[in-house]
Amino acid sequence: MLEMQNEDKVYGNIAYACTTLQCERGLGNKTAMRWIDAHGGKTDFTFNDLDRESNRFANALDSLGVTKGDIFFTFLPKTPEQFFAFLGILKAQVICGTLFSNFGEEALLDRLGDSGAAGIVTRKGLFKKIMRIRGKLPKLKYIILIDGDGEPERGVFGYKDLTAAARDEYEVQPTTADTPSVLQYTSGSTGKPKGVLHCHGSLQGQMGTARDVLGLRHDDIYWCTADQGWITGTSYGIIGPWSLGITQIHYGGGFDAQAWVDLLAREHVTVWYSAPTALRMLMRSDETIFTSADLSELRSIHSVGEPLNPEVIAWSRRVMNRDIYDTWFQTETGAIMICNRPGMEIFPGSMGKPATGIEPAIVADDGTILKDGEQGNLCIKIGWPSMFSTYLNNESAYASKFKNGYYYTGDTARRDANGYYWFMGRSDDVINTAGHLISPFEIESALLEIDEIAESGVIGAPDELLYEKVVAFVHLHEGVVPTKDLELKIRLHVSNKASSIATPQEIIFCDGIPKNKSGKIMRRVLRARYSGADIGDTSTLEI
Amino acid sequence: MSTMETLNQVFCVVFDDDDIQITPETTANDIDGWDSLSHINLIVAVEGKFGIRFQHGEILTFRNVGDLIRSIEAKL
Repeated sequence: MLEMQNEDKVYGNIAYACTTLQCERGLGNKTAMRWIDAHGGKTDFTFNDLDRESNRFANALDSLGVTKGDIFFTFLPKTPEQFFAFLGILKAQVICGTLFSNFGEEALLDRLGDSGAAGIVTRKGLFKKIMRIRGKLPKLKYIILIDGDGEPERGVFGYKDLTAAARDEYEVQPTTADTPSVLQYTSGSTGKPKGVLHCHGSLQGQMGTARDVLGLRHDDIYWCTADQGWITGTSYGIIGPWSLGITQIHYGGGFDAQAWVDLLAREHVTVWYSAPTALRMLMRSDETIFTSADLSELRSIHSVGEPLNPEVIAWSRRVMNRDIYDTWFQTETGAIMICNRPGMEIFPGSMGKPATGIEPAIVADDGTILKDGEQGNLCIKIGWPSMFSTYLNNESAYASKFKNGYYYTGDTARRDANGYYWFMGRSDDVINTAGHLISPFEIESALLEIDEIAESGVIGAPDELLYEKVVAFVHLHEGVVPTKDLELKIRLHVSNKASSIATPQEIIFCDGIPKNKSGKIMRRVLRARYSGADIGDTSTLEI
Repeated sequence: MSTMETLNQVFCVVFDDDDIQITPETTANDIDGWDSLSHINLIVAVEGKFGIRFQHGEILTFRNVGDLIRSIEAKL
């Protein structure tokens, strides 16, 4: 491994490996990031630039009094400052939490409140959401605005002023593998989102899989479309590729089929990592967008987020003359666990085979390891380098994920006789929409804040584009009449309080929500009601 | 109130931001939170506010606020 060549100086710090180490390897003048803004403007940042800018941010944190073990978040759409801040935070051995920029204030409050965050880097347009909840966040001392002026008396600081005053050299302190690094929240089927904490030792898994699964080589131009609010955006949009000295494209615009394909062609992208929903949206676009583009340098396409349906692979083979390599991992696993990769035979719809050193198993509920062909809990033998170290402030939830030396992923799967794994579904009620795991509980909680709603139950239902869509069953208070205006009010409330990805795509007004005798929402009954399937055993049903 | 002014009000409600000032050139890249999912919220809100209906294929052709306004005014 690269950092082991220089272990007396490097200490295994993720940000050091992504910046300073690359400069020491002689790559200081190599482009680390080609930044393309939403209007097509380009700026190249070398590894020297990345090193200096992250050093400045680390020094700025020091000057504020932020110290090792504190938690500092980024809450930004893709911007160069997001990458500088992320790396600077890790250099200072502060824990970096990353937030999806479309989170609403309730989602922010859950995450910033639970973590006791000391600070956050954001921009003016998103600052308003934070100010609405700041009174409930007594530990949040520092807000850094990348596009605004500071008001230090209010704990608000201007990024430009702060970093301009900071030195561009920074001495990273010895960083052990178990030093906390990245924090991202993930949804469960009950309770609030849980803070998945990773350590600097995860670098080994992220670097190894970026090299061995994505197949990154020194001369590659690599584009990962994931948002840095999610694990793919940090593990494979920052850590994996830059720890290998790879040039990355980062694009500040949203999804646009023509713009994306133009970017792939114009920037000579060689390795592309995206998500099934985006690929399905591309599949719906005019084929001439692809057939008229020169994609001859695109060596491989990889996908992650939700199962890649065979139709997408068939489309890619026909239109782009290439396979798409589906990969599987979770926030908790930190790096790719099961994958298809170049050189492997692809069986469309399969998750692929274990990444190097990963030992999955299909396990029955009683702990028995199941045979090939049998469906059960998808588990991973513990001990992989990028394994999460805890759920922040929730040790019991963390402990509940492990049994008999295995991590229980919450997914169900089977393995075939050739050793390929096949995703079968979730073993809980978590909804996977557009590659994001959403807690029905979070959406139900947001729905109950609406005056007209008495109770609600939320499920995921199959969707051709999103894989699953959010469906909300809503029981209104007596005398309230369902209207189009109320539907819109519900959609906007969830979108702005939780996030756009949590917005119900379908709202079903009903006379009551099925619950068991202890008051738990019977989502399996709602799913059956939605699909028209047999409701099954209703002996425990309250209504 | 002009179509632009009414539409601006809709944007402020949909994206929960009273400071939004749209122009014909405004695109999704200019407004925080305007992604493909919140775009559906916007379309539903515009349809309700103006009492119109968009065709599915039509929605995909809007490249900026100007395109949206032209489509709204053609239906009024």
